[in-house]
Amino acid sequence: MEASKLEHEVAGAHDALRFGLPGVKSDITISHPLQSIQVSQKKRKEELKRMVLMNTYGSALPLKMDLDMQILSRFQRLPGPLPSSMLGLEALTGELDDIGFEDYLNDPRDSESFRPVDMHNGMEVRLGLAKGPICPSFI
Amino acid sequence: MAKAAVDVPPKGGFSFDLCRRNEMLVKKGAELPKFRKTGTTIVGLVFKDGVILGADTRATEGPIVCDKNCEKIHYMAPNIYCCGAGTAADTEAVTDMVSSQLALHRYATGRESRVITALTLLKSHLFSYQGHVSAALVLGGVDVTGPHLHTIYPHGSTDTLPFATMGSGSLAAMAMFESRYKEGMTREEGIKLVCDAICSGIFNDLGSGSNVDVCVITKDGKDYLRNHQLPNPRTYVSTRGYSFTKGQTEVLSTKITPMKEKVEIIEGDAMEE
Repeated sequence: MEASKLEHEVAGAHDALRFGLPGVKSDITISHPLQSIQVSQKKRKEELKRMVLMNTYGSALPLKMDLDMQILSRFQRLPGPLPSSMLGLEALTGELDDIGFEDYLNDPRDSESFRPVDMHNGMEVRLGLAKGPICPSFI
Repeated sequence: MAKAAVDVPPKGGFSFDLCRRNEMLVKKGAELPKFRKTGTTIVGLVFKDGVILGADTRATEGPIVCDKNCEKIHYMAPNIYCCGAGTAADTEAVTDMVSSQLALHRYATGRESRVITALTLLKSHLFSYQGHVSAALVLGGVDVTGPHLHTIYPHGSTDTLPFATMGSGSLAAMAMFESRYKEGMTREEGIKLVCDAICSGIFNDLGSGSNVDVCVITKDGKDYLRNHQLPNPRTYVSTRGYSFTKGQTEVLSTKITPMKEKVEIIEGDAMEE
């Protein structure tokens, strides 16, 4: 959810109408109480689920699920116009059977300023050959 | 437990991009628009065979009536319906989202949805948003365990009652219920009482008005009586309506300006290499 924030243009002009006047403090603090609720809620739910699994099935299962989660989250498509569906990860976390605001509100792919990332650059960043952030395609 | 960085594609959700700008504008002295006052009467009661839900059909936008015949009884599942009071968009979005989740759950389990499932989904959602999603709901339905009626407050607390009211007209409606409700009512008695409760909201509360919607849910299915009563028909001075003859509007003067050709074509080479 926290990723739904618009990307700042680091080098380009600062958009004061969207982000307010530039300032280090305003970049760190959270602008709306709901935003912090969303972040903490997600964390709390995950911890709760972990705890339940640990108490029910023993501590091995959550550890194993963590491993699975790491494997499944790395199993992605090449960076480019088609994003990974993360089907395996969503099946593991249970998000597959859930519909929330993040599924239909403000989908980043529907954004008018969406530009697909450049595949080569994205791959270099992912493999650690180049320094991040992944630039949108060089035009 | 330290977790390795899980790098997944970004997802949507609420956008908080403009909050910081708005904060800045408020500090500079700009006045942001206030929340608009909402008003509704929604009720529900348990009768002999099931549940009856009722709602008025007025949508207000502060002091303005912006819709005289809106729908406040939302579909959740074939056997569950939900009345919504509060911000119309919030009630609509929340009930739609939960009804999608219930549909997914039905596909996964192959069983009829239970009212308690819908209740838990709604209250956990509303509680996690701490009242920022302003939806006050009356949830009613019939499942394998019988008829159920619940009210859900915007902050996520719930009640389970034989008769319930919500919205600004809830006091007027509750007065009718408290004086006339009894256990084991028939369908006709129940619909009559629900209509009277809604009408008392319509006539005594400024936030409620127009027509009466009723939804009867029984073991055998639902019966959605849209605009069951029309206590506030539109009134005209002439009872027979109006008819206008042709040429009713007098033409005072006529002036015709012929369109000039804007592009002038000049002889010669149009394209220069």
